[in-house]
Amino acid sequence: MLDVVRSELTRSRRRGVLGAWLGLTALFAGMIVAVIFQLAGDAGAMPAAGPGVTFPTREALESASGIMAPLASASSMFGIVTLAFWAVLTATDHSTGLVRLLVAAQPRRWKLVAGKVGALVVWTAVATSVAVLVDLLVAPMLGASSDLDLSAWGTGVGTVVASAWLNLFLALLVWGSIGLVLAVATRSAAVAVSVGAGWVLVVEQVLTAAFDGLRNWLPGATIGAVAAGGNDVISYGSALTLAAGYVVVCLTVAVVVFTRRDITD
Amino acid sequence: MSAVSSTGLTRRFGDVLAVDAVSVDIPAGGVVGLVGPNGSGKSTMIRMLLGLIRPTSGSATVLGEPVDGDGAYLRRVGALVESPAFVPGLSARANLTSLAQLRGLPLGRVDAVLDVVGLTGRDREPVKRFSLGMKQRLGIAAALLPDPELLVLDEPTNGLDPSGIVEIRTLLGALAREGRTVVVSSHLLAEIEAVCDHLVVIRFGELLYSGPVAALLERTHGHVEVKPEHAADVDALVEALALAGHEVEAVGDGVRVLGAGSRAAAVNRDAAAAGITLVELRTVRESLEQVFLDLTGRDEDEAAAARARRGGGVR
Repeated sequence: MLDVVRSELTRSRRRGVLGAWLGLTALFAGMIVAVIFQLAGDAGAMPAAGPGVTFPTREALESASGIMAPLASASSMFGIVTLAFWAVLTATDHSTGLVRLLVAAQPRRWKLVAGKVGALVVWTAVATSVAVLVDLLVAPMLGASSDLDLSAWGTGVGTVVASAWLNLFLALLVWGSIGLVLAVATRSAAVAVSVGAGWVLVVEQVLTAAFDGLRNWLPGATIGAVAAGGNDVISYGSALTLAAGYVVVCLTVAVVVFTRRDITD
Repeated sequence: MSAVSSTGLTRRFGDVLAVDAVSVDIPAGGVVGLVGPNGSGKSTMIRMLLGLIRPTSGSATVLGEPVDGDGAYLRRVGALVESPAFVPGLSARANLTSLAQLRGLPLGRVDAVLDVVGLTGRDREPVKRFSLGMKQRLGIAAALLPDPELLVLDEPTNGLDPSGIVEIRTLLGALAREGRTVVVSSHLLAEIEAVCDHLVVIRFGELLYSGPVAALLERTHGHVEVKPEHAADVDALVEALALAGHEVEAVGDGVRVLGAGSRAAAVNRDAAAAGITLVELRTVRESLEQVFLDLTGRDEDEAAAARARRGGGVR
C-alpha cells in the first residue's frame, strides 16, 4: 500500500499544480485576514456572512483564538480550492488516459483510490500549514494596526494554533473527498469543481434559506462547523460525526464506481 | 502453453456489439500481430485481456490465469494501450518512477528500460516537450518495466521515424527470442509481415483468421511470371503451358501462370519440354496487405449490413 501512495506522491508532484494550490491558499489566507481585520475596526461594516465566508464578531477576534478566527471563517473558500485540486489531480488521470496504465499496473483498483487519497491528504496537510503560516504572519501585523484589544492573543497560543490547524485540515479533507468522488464519477475536473462550488455558493445557501432545518446537516454548514470547532448551529462532536459520515460515503462511492467501471478513457 | 486463450469472448456496449464471440488461441513465444480495420474490436479485445473492461460473456485466460480473476497475471504483462499516456508536466524519469513504485519494482528498472528505448539523456525533460515518437518510446519503456512475459503493444511504431521503426522491429524480435510473447496491434501491415510469426485478424468484432503468417500467405493466390529467351516465343509458350494444364495469360513479352508459386518447377519443365528457354522465372506472392484486404474487404453494402446485424456499429 505504501508503494501505491509513494507512486501517487511522485505523480502529483507537479510544480504547476502544487504551486497553484499552495499559492491560491496563501493568497486567499492573506486576503481574508486583511479583509476581516480591515472591517473589524468598524462594527457596523462587518457583514454577518458573504458567499462562502462567515465573518467573525469583534469579540471573537479579540478572544485568545481570535488570531486564527479568519481561517475558520473562510474555510469554505479554502475548501473550494482543495476540492478543485483533489478533483483536478483525480480527473486528469482519466483525461490523459493515464488511468489505463495505472489499472493495468495495479489491478486492485481500490488501492489506486486509497493511494490517491493518501497522497492528497499529505498535500492537504501542506496547504493547511501554508494557510496557518500566512495567518500567523499577517494577522498580528494587521491586528496591531486596528483598534482591537489583542491582549488575550498570547494565551495558550500553541493550543490555539494546533486546534485551528487540525480543524481546518479536517474540514479540507471533507471538501477534498467531495472533489474526489465528483471527479471519479464525472471524470471531469471542470464539472466536479462547478458542482462543488455551485453547491456551496448557491444551492446550499438557497436550501438553508428555504428550509431552516437543513442547516444542521448540509455539507457546507457541517464542514464550516468542523473548521470553527463547532458553532451555534452544530456542536463540534456532531459536526465531526457528520463530516466523517460524508467522507465515508464519498470514499465508498468513489471506490465502488472506480472498481466497477470499464476503463474506456 | 497459450499466452492468450479466449472462448466466445463477447463485449457489447449497449446495442453495439464490439467483440462477437471470439475464440482464439495465441501460442506463447514469438511476435503476434493483431490486425483489423478501424473499429474492428481490436482495442476492446486488448482492454478485455488487460482487465480494463469486462467481457459481456465468454471467458479468456492470459498466461494461464483467467482475466476475470484477481488480475495477478498483470504483474507479468506489460502494455501500451492506444496512445501513450503520461503526466505531461513530469519528466520521463518521474513518470516511469511512479509506475515502478506502483508495481513495487526496484527503481533500477527505470534506468534499464530508458536505456532499451534510447531515452537515456532525455529522461529529465518534461514529457510535454517530447515528440510523438519519443512519447511512443516512453510508452514502450513503461510496458517493459515489469520485465513482462507478455507484451501487448498497440501501434508501437506510430510516430517513429524510419530508423526508430527499425529499432523497434529489432527490439520486438529480440524480446521474442528471449521467450516472451509480443502481441502487436498495427495498421502497418508491412511491419506486421516483417516482424510477426502469428496473425490474428478481426473484422466487425469477428475473428477471421488466427494462425501462422506463413500459412495465411501460402493460402493466397500467388502466380509465376516467366519470360522466354526470344519475345517471338511468347505465343508458343502460352500454348505449351496451356496444353500442360496451366492457367496462363500473355503479359507483354512474358507469360503469367496463375496458381500457387509451388508450380514454378513444373512451369520450367514444361517450357523446356516445348523447346523454349526461359530467361526469367519468378514466383510472385500476394503481400499481407493484399491478403488482409481480401479477408476484410467486403463491399460497403455488406459492411453496412454487418453493422446493422450487430446493432449499428462497432468500437
